[in-house]
Amino acid sequence: MDRQISIRVLRWLVRRPSTYRLLGVLLEVLNRKEKNEAYKIWVRFLLEVTQKAYAHRRPVIWMNAFTPSEIAYALGGVPFMPEIIASLVSYLGWSRRPISLADTYISTDVCSFYRCALGLVLEGYLPHPDLIISSSHLCDGANKFFRYLSKLYGCPHFFLDPPYKCDTLGRRYMISQLKEVVEAASGLIHVPLDEGRLAQTIDLSNQARRYMEDINRLRQNIPSPFPGSEGLSYLAGMNFYSLGSERGVDFYRTLYHYIERKVVKAEGYLLKERHRLLWLHHIRPYYENEIFQILGDRGVAVSFEEPNYLYWPSLDPSRPWESLAEKITSNIWAGPLDRRIEAVWRMVQDYSIDGVIHFSHWGCRQSCGGAGVIGDFLKEKGVPYIILPGDGADPDNYSPGQTRTRLEALVEMLG
Amino acid sequence: MVSFKGILNNLKQYPLEQGGPIIGWTCTYLPLEILEAGGLQPYRIIPEPTSERADSYLDPNFCPFIRASLGKVLGGGYPSLSGIVLLNTCDGMRRLFDAWRFYCAPSFSFLLDLPRVITPSSLAYFRERLQELKEELERHFEVQITQDALVEAIEEANLTRSLIQRLLLLKGRGDPPLQEADIMDILAEGWGSPRKIFNEALQRLVKELEPHPPAPLNGPKLLVTGSLLEGSSLIRLVEELAGEVVVSDLCTGGRFLEEVPPFSNPLGALSEAYLNKPLCARMWDTQRRIANIKAEISRTGAQALIYFALKFCDPYLYEAPVLKEALQEIGIPVLFIEGEYTGKVSGGVRTRVQAFLEMLERDYG
Ligand code: SF4
Ligand code: SF4
Repeated sequence: MDRQISIRVLRWLVRRPSTYRLLGVLLEVLNRKEKNEAYKIWVRFLLEVTQKAYAHRRPVIWMNAFTPSEIAYALGGVPFMPEIIASLVSYLGWSRRPISLADTYISTDVCSFYRCALGLVLEGYLPHPDLIISSSHLCDGANKFFRYLSKLYGCPHFFLDPPYKCDTLGRRYMISQLKEVVEAASGLIHVPLDEGRLAQTIDLSNQARRYMEDINRLRQNIPSPFPGSEGLSYLAGMNFYSLGSERGVDFYRTLYHYIERKVVKAEGYLLKERHRLLWLHHIRPYYENEIFQILGDRGVAVSFEEPNYLYWPSLDPSRPWESLAEKITSNIWAGPLDRRIEAVWRMVQDYSIDGVIHFSHWGCRQSCGGAGVIGDFLKEKGVPYIILPGDGADPDNYSPGQTRTRLEALVEMLG
Repeated sequence: MVSFKGILNNLKQYPLEQGGPIIGWTCTYLPLEILEAGGLQPYRIIPEPTSERADSYLDPNFCPFIRASLGKVLGGGYPSLSGIVLLNTCDGMRRLFDAWRFYCAPSFSFLLDLPRVITPSSLAYFRERLQELKEELERHFEVQITQDALVEAIEEANLTRSLIQRLLLLKGRGDPPLQEADIMDILAEGWGSPRKIFNEALQRLVKELEPHPPAPLNGPKLLVTGSLLEGSSLIRLVEELAGEVVVSDLCTGGRFLEEVPPFSNPLGALSEAYLNKPLCARMWDTQRRIANIKAEISRTGAQALIYFALKFCDPYLYEAPVLKEALQEIGIPVLFIEGEYTGKVSGGVRTRVQAFLEMLERDYG
């Protein structure tokens, strides 16, 4: 009974926009000693979008992590990405309850980010979507999960289905889908699609992209100026969530200057860097774990990580649809594995990589299915490689002993 | 005594090569007519459950069908294939295609892009990809796939469909009576036989069965839906336990039996017909699939549904609870079974199916 009451109180608190304003003030105080201004912008950004999503003054558009956030900003809406929220909930150590709730409903073999999000949905913690715009890439889960949510919430669902091939035919099909979906969505929320705002959104996304490019270049320096564990958390989060917004530009500009200062001072994020690693997969375990500690203690830096690889060409605000279509269809995780392998090899070279970890998140078929082939490719090139099985959001699927053994084996291979 | 097994065994004496260079395929969304019109012989990849599992190449949390397929490929199990045409059905299938190319480099490999939605632009897009497939086959195999050949291939494939439809109406006839599990075995034979010879065998079978009086079937009626089922063992078990399987809506069942309608543009007709066939869970619109299944339930009078998903098959795992909920709302009980691709029904599954049928007898009988 007490537990029920406390859950109700918690839900009430979580759903109040003012909670996030208060939390913002509190976190500003707590973070005042934090030197990384960009991190503070991420915290503010996240609180702001969450607060807006609960305030419901503007259309709340649920999207999956790989639907371009530019679409939501161009429609004047507030994007809401349940996978990102699930990673945050896991980071805060709260994912067990929603996951176990979802497990009474859906197979425990599907992605724990979706299971966690489902649990949060079922308990009524998340802001009601006005509409859903989701995309079938990267995974079968994205394809099916959002259709179910639209039924649960009784809200309209628009769906993008990126083609497998990134050729003229594929891009043309993508452009027609984008136009159909965005036009239909704008009609539904009574926000006429303003070409000017669309161009402006693309321009903002592009400004951020330029800084991302510069950040990535800076990260090629030895020693590694920026920790991969953060590259896999808020940096990747901003990648998914903020492109097309002013905050996004602000974040990347600030982070660029922060990393630049580190590079000028030749300051690595580890005291002594002995080896440089590349992390494959767009996620890491977000709950408390020892992975980065084990590596760091042995002088192994995670110098770069796959989600921050800039796979799309620069966007052209005068050709917004074409630009977005190109961004979607050039995604290295969709389509044939060859593209991903090419990108992995480029990252290995650009970042002077000594070894590669493929994090194999239980439930992520699209990524794990390529891990063997990528490993054989890298082994042929003489690059040490391990597959690290685990789970991004479910702490009960994390095996500390096995993880440590695998990491130690990798460190040994590195010499 | 009608021996459909005898008729089908006869099929084995025709070497598959007789139908032309052999092309491996996996997903029923592939219009086989295009291959057949080019004098190529389609062969469905359904490895024996005993095949090696490619465990060191694919994670253990991967669809066991994909692991068995890759295992067989890597073990040199398909020496007579001249090429493969797979579809981006699901994450597993995409990765199978990658691994197949990476480790075995088949001289012809094509990944047909299959949309997940049915809209005017997706139909047009699929048609264009079919055109691309046609051109690639023509170039590689130095064949001509003419309009006339396409029309002829569609007609021949339509004949297969109508014969299977007729067979479905003949269930319960013959000695022993023809059952759904037999029809699944027949379909499986068809995937490894030249079309014309298969059609002739079907015609003989229909002719032999037609004069037999229908045997009354009075067990609970069930609809089975789900992913790919290795062999017919689960369906046979239900029938052995006196259940009547009225529809097997499976990747290895009768999911594409509607004829391709008359056409002036054969590729356009194939695009329309294949994209509009009863949906597989990999398609986006779960609600439309639920509506289709409900319609099948009222058409056939099915009293319950068995939902079969291979382990780690995301399209079906995500859909199962949604469908279950929707059917329970209209009073249709659902039994969910996850399979390991072993070709056998485990003791646990047997007990659950038995209990489910007993429950149906008791509550709905
Ligand atoms: S981790 Fe994999 S399965 Fe989960 S949402 Fe991302 S792509 Fe999909
Ligand atoms: S059974 Fe499921 S995962 Fe396996 S190939 Fe079919 S759709 Fe893909």
